[in-house]
Amino acid sequence: MSKKILVVDDSKTALMMEREILERRTTYQCVTASDGEEAVEKAQQEHPDLVLMDVVMPRMNGFEACKRMRQQASTREIPIVLVTTRGEESYMEAGFQSGCNDYITKPVDGAELVALLQSYLGE
Amino acid sequence: MNGDKSSAAAAKPCGADPMNDLRLGAARKRLVESQGQEDAIEGLREIIANFLGSEEIGLFKVDRRNATFEVYWSFGIDAENYDLPRALGEVGLRRVMGGECHVERPSHGHAGAITKVQAFVPICFANQTIAILAILRLLPQKQSFDRSDMELFKLLSDEAAKPLFGASVNSKVVTEGPGIRA
Repeated sequence: MSKKILVVDDSKTALMMEREILERRTTYQCVTASDGEEAVEKAQQEHPDLVLMDVVMPRMNGFEACKRMRQQASTREIPIVLVTTRGEESYMEAGFQSGCNDYITKPVDGAELVALLQSYLGE
Repeated sequence: MNGDKSSAAAAKPCGADPMNDLRLGAARKRLVESQGQEDAIEGLREIIANFLGSEEIGLFKVDRRNATFEVYWSFGIDAENYDLPRALGEVGLRRVMGGECHVERPSHGHAGAITKVQAFVPICFANQTIAILAILRLLPQKQSFDRSDMELFKLLSDEAAKPLFGASVNSKVVTEGPGIRA
């Protein structure tokens, strides 16, 4: 059974691109959410094998959504990779403090993204 | 200023860089599927932020009759106080008005100051530049534009006019007037 990735971003363009990468360059299934609150709900419903999540989003940002997922038994162990335009050390530290496993900065390099996901999920 | 000719005429054959092909396809799709001008502008902002790596952008309409540029939209910059012709310089202005991208690469200017990486992309319709997309600073984790960025610029140059300007794009093609001078 193929692995499932929950992709979270409020940008239609980013979602479109990440979905294209996953569907054409991997065997992973892709489900999407457009803000942190929806991400927490979908993570509980869909039980993804990994969450790929933007940080700056309306309603609930990626840091907060990450903390919520870590607080719930059903989503506590899911690897979470945060995606953001901010690459400063303090920002990355905030991401790790919120409970993420990894971090990738925009603009996302497609090959780098696939390699990162495969390091968590296998091919 | 250290200008650079950045025509994307020497694009790689389709399929030579599959990831870039995906990126270009997603950008094209986002523009084509935009629902109205506001959504197209949001799509443009998302494309620049997510695919290129910039959050300081301005879009300036060309008014050939009056030889001026008007701010159409901006993000992360004070566009009203931005002197586009001065930033472009004579060479850059000639290039973009002729339909070519103009890229400024980092260089040491007077007194050791480093100029930042910038790009000016002509948005074209009916072989005329009707607007200029100015990308004024890259995110810190990105040092310069690469070949795939040039291909994205070409796509925007060729295909963004109609989604951005809608039905009014036809009225922007002016065959008379003094033109724009630096």
